[in-house]
Amino acid sequence: MKRFLPPLAALVICVVVLWAWTDGFRAFTVFSYALNQAGPLPRAFPDAVFVNQDGATFHLQDKKKFVLVNFVYLDCPDVCHKINNRLEGIYRKLAGGIIPADLELLTISFDLQRDDVRKIKSYKQLFGEGLSGWTFALPEGMTQESFDQFLRTLGVWARRVPGTALINHSIYQFLVAPNGEIVKVFDPAREDDRQIIEELKSWVQK
Amino acid sequence: MVVLGGDFQMPFYSRSRWGSLVLLGGFCLLFYLVSFTANAWFSLTMPRHQTLQLPIMFALGVGLAFGFSRATIKSAEWKIATLIFVMGTLIFWMLPRSVDWAAFDADFNRIMHVTMVVSGFLCVTALRGASVELRMAFLGMVAAMLLAVGFTLRTFDILLCSAFTISQQQETGLALLLIGGALLVAIVGVFIRSLGIHQANDGL
Repeated sequence: MKRFLPPLAALVICVVVLWAWTDGFRAFTVFSYALNQAGPLPRAFPDAVFVNQDGATFHLQDKKKFVLVNFVYLDCPDVCHKINNRLEGIYRKLAGGIIPADLELLTISFDLQRDDVRKIKSYKQLFGEGLSGWTFALPEGMTQESFDQFLRTLGVWARRVPGTALINHSIYQFLVAPNGEIVKVFDPAREDDRQIIEELKSWVQK
Repeated sequence: MVVLGGDFQMPFYSRSRWGSLVLLGGFCLLFYLVSFTANAWFSLTMPRHQTLQLPIMFALGVGLAFGFSRATIKSAEWKIATLIFVMGTLIFWMLPRSVDWAAFDADFNRIMHVTMVVSGFLCVTALRGASVELRMAFLGMVAAMLLAVGFTLRTFDILLCSAFTISQQQETGLALLLIGGALLVAIVGVFIRSLGIHQANDGL
């Protein structure tokens, strides 16, 4: 029996360290770890004030409908625009149906230093006219620290790459119910648009 | 753990004091260059970080074990315990979350360097005098792990490490597939060779 102790002890130590580091073998990336740390669903969307592309301020809870929230930054060289192009596809498929009556899209910028109301307005116009159910916004009245805390509470990983304009970040999309609770998190890297559309419909029509 | 278990013998080569100092100085210089001076360069891309810096540190540990001592872990149970620790360490530093933190934080990266050096050193001391079967089983597991991680990084279209890009992730995957494949070929070669030696001994 004594002969088994050293290998067993080594195995237990390794498993415990790996278990703790990956949040119980559920989170292997910084993105999924940050999301898991925010807690299980449903949970409240952290309270914040936003300013939209027209300069009007609002709370998410004021919408009184389902809102699909995602985060981008406008100087992103790649993935943010791909994600928003896919969101546009989702919007077009649902427009006139559950959008904008029961569901809205909300794209929030990460970049407090470089993005402003003028930039997000021009950015929205790139997607064409008549997107009444899609709001582009910036956090209002938040310092970088309080915005970072907001993202942590939400479960979004974001980190500015030193010396560049790049921000590494999660691409999760949060479905917020009319009562202000996050009820579903979509990962567009793993779920295709058809799946997301079906899920959105089923949540809204519940 | 091995040292606490009282199963570790570390007789040093009877090298001159100057010889030992030169070797130790060389090791420290290489460690300093890779871990401090060139750390930013190594951390800039994923292939550099995962397929250069990490193996260099492991190789430094291996070199330390070969160059400095005939340290051996005697009993099978401590050999296996040590190899489990080495495998656990390698797995830890292959996790995307660990890679990310190592890329962001130079101090965290240095923990990786130290554990890699220790792992390289322990790997040699555990495999020294071990049966061919144990050596091949361990190296086979390392090769399998490298191939699995390489395949994942090569084929995943999802960014796993936020500090790097998808193209770098795929380059790293390819490099790990090549390293893992080469290791597997080497193991198979050693296996065939050892079969030949066994057959020759049986014939005597």
